[in-house]
Amino acid sequence: MQNNLQELSLILNEMSTDEGTTFEAVFVDDEILEVTCSNNDEFSIHVVMTEKQILTVTPLFSADEVPKEKVNELNSLLLRVSPAVPLSSVGLQDNNYILFGAMSVNTTIENISHELEVQAENTIDVLETISPLLK
Amino acid sequence: MSILKDLFKAIKGGVSEVGESVVDANLIRILEQDIRDDSNAINKAKQSLTQLKGTEIGLKRKIDSLTTDITDYEAKTVEALDAGKEDLAIQVAEKIADLESEKDILFTEHTALAKEVLQLNKMIKTRSSNLEKGKRELEKIKTVEQLQKTTASINKNFASTKSSGNRVADSLARAKKKQQEWKDNQKAGDWMEEEESSSDLDKKLSEEGIGGKKTSANDILERLKNKNKS
Repeated sequence: MQNNLQELSLILNEMSTDEGTTFEAVFVDDEILEVTCSNNDEFSIHVVMTEKQILTVTPLFSADEVPKEKVNELNSLLLRVSPAVPLSSVGLQDNNYILFGAMSVNTTIENISHELEVQAENTIDVLETISPLLK
Repeated sequence: MSILKDLFKAIKGGVSEVGESVVDANLIRILEQDIRDDSNAINKAKQSLTQLKGTEIGLKRKIDSLTTDITDYEAKTVEALDAGKEDLAIQVAEKIADLESEKDILFTEHTALAKEVLQLNKMIKTRSSNLEKGKRELEKIKTVEQLQKTTASINKNFASTKSSGNRVADSLARAKKKQQEWKDNQKAGDWMEEEESSSDLDKKLSEEGIGGKKTSANDILERLKNKNKS
């Protein structure tokens, strides 16, 4: 698994997609690869692997950044937004709102890189939609 | 068994605090043990199946050879009777009876064996389906586990930037700005390309003497000379 992540980081650092996106992949932990996409270098993506899946996680904001009276409105908006977002979904991880994607470990590098660049783009879209509800 | 509800136990008025303990080590151990048990059972069953199949083939061969022998002796009995040797015919008939009872025994064994093979196959199927289910459940746990590992690094990320009030808004503004710059650069690139290709065209046209032909001093002199003549 770790070997696969290492392989992925090597390829990502060298490649560029059809849309011209490039990647900077750095290990922040033995098992966590942090990928910054050139189309959105403000919100990086954490990539982890299980035996079967590649999981891509973009931390959006902490629940502490949402005013208490807006929590319900925000959650309901996110639930409605999520199906409209291509390839990524919105979720809660611990106390943090995240955007995430999941792929089979057998996914080709073209699809992985595409998924990453789309997720980077989605991050901006989703945050723009909900940012009026943040502190 | 569904692991998901154990991973995220809903409590009245909300979901329980999801902390480090969300993935119960015991749960993983039990599940991994189940998976090991299932694959061991499947392996054993497959081994038995091979042995049983070997025995079955052996039995079948014996039954076949007994059938041939019986047919053979039957023909011989008829021959003995035809030759009027009744005593001999009775002896052969007794031999046939022995062979037939032996064949019956083997046949019963063979039927029991076939039943056992069927049961083993059924067992392998059930265990395999259990195994796959178990693996899927384990994958859910591993997913939550891996996701949780990102939490620490995410929290660190947020903690370092929390002091600034509008963290998301600021980052978003910067990201949008870069996105706009990128688009502008791309537009500039497109414009440059177009400009270059159109100037190429002008060059080609003028080389061919079409369109904006530059007037040279000689041309002017020529024109003035002509004017004087007329």
